[in-house]
Amino acid sequence: MELKNLSIRQLNNLFVEKKAKPSELYSDIFDTSASSESLLHAHLALFEEKNIEIAKNSDKRFENGESTGLLDGIPIAIKDNINIKGELTTCSSKMLSNYRSPYNATVIEKLDNENVLYTGKTNLDEFAMGSSTENSAFGLTKNPWNTDYVPGGSSGGSAASVSARSSIGALGSDTGGSIRQPAAFCGLVGFKPTYGTVSRYGLIAFASSLDQIGPITKNVDDARIIYNAISGHDALDATSIDNNQINIPFDKSAKIGVIKELMEDGISDESRNEVSKVLESLKNQGYQIKEVSLPLIKLSISIYYLIAPAECSANLARFDGVRYGLRVEGKTSYEMMQNTRAEGFGDEVKRRILLGTYALSAGYYDEYYGKALRARKKMIDEFSNIFNDVDYLISPTTPTAAFKAGEKTSNPLEMYMSDLCTIPANLAGLPAISIPTGLSKENLPLGVQLMSKPLTDLSLLNFSEVIEKEVDFDTFPKGLEK
Amino acid sequence: MSDFDIKNIAKLASINLSAEEQKKLTKDLSIILEHVQALSSLELDTNIEDVFIHPLEKELKLVEDIEIDSLTHKDALSNAPESKDGKFVVPPSME
Repeated sequence: MELKNLSIRQLNNLFVEKKAKPSELYSDIFDTSASSESLLHAHLALFEEKNIEIAKNSDKRFENGESTGLLDGIPIAIKDNINIKGELTTCSSKMLSNYRSPYNATVIEKLDNENVLYTGKTNLDEFAMGSSTENSAFGLTKNPWNTDYVPGGSSGGSAASVSARSSIGALGSDTGGSIRQPAAFCGLVGFKPTYGTVSRYGLIAFASSLDQIGPITKNVDDARIIYNAISGHDALDATSIDNNQINIPFDKSAKIGVIKELMEDGISDESRNEVSKVLESLKNQGYQIKEVSLPLIKLSISIYYLIAPAECSANLARFDGVRYGLRVEGKTSYEMMQNTRAEGFGDEVKRRILLGTYALSAGYYDEYYGKALRARKKMIDEFSNIFNDVDYLISPTTPTAAFKAGEKTSNPLEMYMSDLCTIPANLAGLPAISIPTGLSKENLPLGVQLMSKPLTDLSLLNFSEVIEKEVDFDTFPKGLEK
Repeated sequence: MSDFDIKNIAKLASINLSAEEQKKLTKDLSIILEHVQALSSLELDTNIEDVFIHPLEKELKLVEDIEIDSLTHKDALSNAPESKDGKFVVPPSME
């Protein structure tokens, strides 16, 4: 079997036993991207040349029995809204097309300590705003399972790269489903950790109370390995918390709640069937399953599309043509800023900045932003109560399988609806994971989402492995040759 | 949305919009604002004072007051569209 199809643990075993070398894996990965990139456009920048020496250093460490752990020599793709010192970090925006990061994100410092090899920077919806990667200023990314379809978003490049085997794993960021939804669309595992357990320092902010970095991988164990490497308190992120994990059962004593509201209207039969299939299998294994209701989930899109744009309008105020990024000249500073922002931002980013500005403006703050904050608090309380009764919540990850490119671009609200199942975990700060479970009639992947209470990330991953093992999904895209 | 003034919002957000963009965005934002109206019927007894920015923690950790390395002056200016004598250069505030 080719190295690129193996898990991180399998690769590490081969390296330790001197049956393969990181540099061989590196060549395998870049041979793949040489053909897959022209088809898919997963990466905005590839780091092949500059990392050859680093791969050889990994070889030497394994030769000398001095490897630094499971991630030593593993090629990982990085979403292009995460800063790597000395590299461009464009956020797929004209605004930052020439922005070269003067510092590393904390997650990069942590992966550097593990001697990870970066494959490059991956495409995204501009500033992570979107669900299809069609909002990139540098062209869309295609779904490896069928190139007529979107890979999801906003971490679509990261997902397409892992799916096509042009990286072993990838980092994405998830504000309303941007890791889980593309993972589901590309037949992969996507994990959004508990808010605050992974530092956001060096992730270019979209909506600070919702953003979280996490892994997209071929299997749950790879996600766990990357999560263990990147998590932990960071003084450079004021919202970072100690990662004191709580253990909850993942054996047959675990109680599973099916979210009633996410199995009703607005969810396709195919997506519902995947959940039913998993529930049937869990039931046969002896797990306790019950239906639960979280009425406010139905309002999560409304809550999210006030809070996220409000935070985005404040965060993106920094792009003013003064300190970094694009500048379009004007006679006065104010004119220069207005011209710069008109030219630098794409349609979706403008839409969200304006929506957020309106929701925060005098006279509307209480009616919109204030109300959304209060509703969010109530939703968090609903989740807390439910977690007194059940250990894990299950739902589809997405209302449908991947849609065709161009299918939803003319109707923003329709596009927003594709995040219906994933948004609640961001609003409540919960750990949530998408696991691939089956294929639609069009042979496109479908995923099931699991959520659990804050700081139970590792138990959630353990429980996800139970499902993963039972489902035994082949993550290799059928549209690509093996 | 009768009082929705796209020109005023664009001014507050410091973004120039073409007439075409104004028309399109007014339509888009009206649809979205109509959708979020669903919240208006919600009975909420939560005080705004009880709502916090971090979804999990009421009190965030304070960091030790110790000096750490930060960006150098040169690095901080390295992406500036225009700089001179170690400072950012911008057009005048008034004509």
